[in-house]
Amino acid sequence: MENKNTDLVIKNLRKTFGNNKVLNGINFELREGERVVILGPSGSGKSTFLRCINWMEEPTSGEIIFDGEIVTEKNIRRIRRNIGMVFQHFNLINNMTVMDNLLLAPLKLKLMKRDKAEKRAMDLLRHIGLANKADAYPASLSGGQKQRVAIVRAMMLSPEVLLFDEPTSALDPESIGDVLGLIRELADRGMTIMIVTHEMSFAKEIATRVVFIDKGCIIEEGTPKEFFEQPKTERVKEFLEKVL
Amino acid sequence: MNNFFEKIGELFSTPEYIDSLLHGFLLTLQISYFALLIGIVLGTVIALIDTAKPSKWLKIPKFICRLYVGIIRGTPMALQLFIMFFVIFAVKGFPSIITAIIAFGMNSAAYTAEVIRGGILSVDAGQTEAGLALGLSRFTIFMKIVAPQAIKNIIPALGNEIITVIKETAIVSMVGMYDLNMAAKDIGSGQNMASYIVPMFVAALFYLGTIYFITFIVKRIEKNLRRSDLRAEK
Repeated sequence: MENKNTDLVIKNLRKTFGNNKVLNGINFELREGERVVILGPSGSGKSTFLRCINWMEEPTSGEIIFDGEIVTEKNIRRIRRNIGMVFQHFNLINNMTVMDNLLLAPLKLKLMKRDKAEKRAMDLLRHIGLANKADAYPASLSGGQKQRVAIVRAMMLSPEVLLFDEPTSALDPESIGDVLGLIRELADRGMTIMIVTHEMSFAKEIATRVVFIDKGCIIEEGTPKEFFEQPKTERVKEFLEKVL
Repeated sequence: MNNFFEKIGELFSTPEYIDSLLHGFLLTLQISYFALLIGIVLGTVIALIDTAKPSKWLKIPKFICRLYVGIIRGTPMALQLFIMFFVIFAVKGFPSIITAIIAFGMNSAAYTAEVIRGGILSVDAGQTEAGLALGLSRFTIFMKIVAPQAIKNIIPALGNEIITVIKETAIVSMVGMYDLNMAAKDIGSGQNMASYIVPMFVAALFYLGTIYFITFIVKRIEKNLRRSDLRAEK
């Protein structure tokens, strides 16, 4: 029986770049409040999988159903408002201040009044200890600061799901802790999260479910306990031996 | 050497010579100005088509743009000028200044298109992705995010193109037009001056002065645009 609160259903998702088959039929469901960590070797397609969900990459075939609605070219812009995304390289808008980065979507999409949006932005910045950087340009922030701003930017529209694409891979060890701390906090508040990461201990700690992808297919999935302590497949055992 | 300075004095004190030089200079500026105007407008259109997201509607326009840029950049400016004068606009009484403006404008468009295309492509793809992920339209992303960043990379190269066009227009003397270059030759070959070096030296100063002025303006604009880049606080 299908759960009433299913946010996201993915059916037979395939993605090819030229002759390169990156995703070979992925079936996946995400329910509200879940925190799914996607693991896999590099080049396995895990980032592409995440990027297909909000059509950063247009799927070659298959269906993505978000809140009961099939995602198409026509409705993707509206659906993206409900799917926040955080990138490996932060992607703060370089020609805008931190504050303008946060205000961009709410004001441009006319989803909030300016004073309300500014208040929310300021609250969020204060929360991550960067209120004093509101008028600074991204170029003057450290990597960890940029990523935390990017996370609160994604939170501005109160999305139903947050996608994290290797959010700490471009950071120095000290900043990693700050960024993971913020993600942990969102998790504790019940945010639905999908995250591609190489931080195994964080994955173990935060995940409600672990999904292992190799060669464009989901090889194994389960709770962190099952996955890390009793892996079912040889491929995962091999992977865990190398990374743990 | 004394003779040289005497001649310069003579050139500047003869109203007829000054008149010729200023006439020539004015034509050079007119052709350059309008050609650059056409070049920037047409070049921007070509660059936008060229960098737009591929779709079936744009297949043919994109092909035409690539072909156009390829042909213009692959043939000599002087030949393009001849084709305009002696083939396409070989109509008796057609004003030669218009022909020259079109020839240089069309040429400049191809180079300007490449400059703008380069500027747009130099903006990190992550900037566009950030906009897409937030649900913004491609138009908004271009206007608010890509264009303001691209322009910083475009301005220096565009300054170079402006300078190139101003100097290149000197070849209109090949089709008998009386620009600054032609004026220098005309004065030099006259009975009274009987010296090429002096008027050509003066014409060189006119070109140099103009280009220094343009360079100064472009540098100022560049500085203004970069201000937001590096400073931490507003």
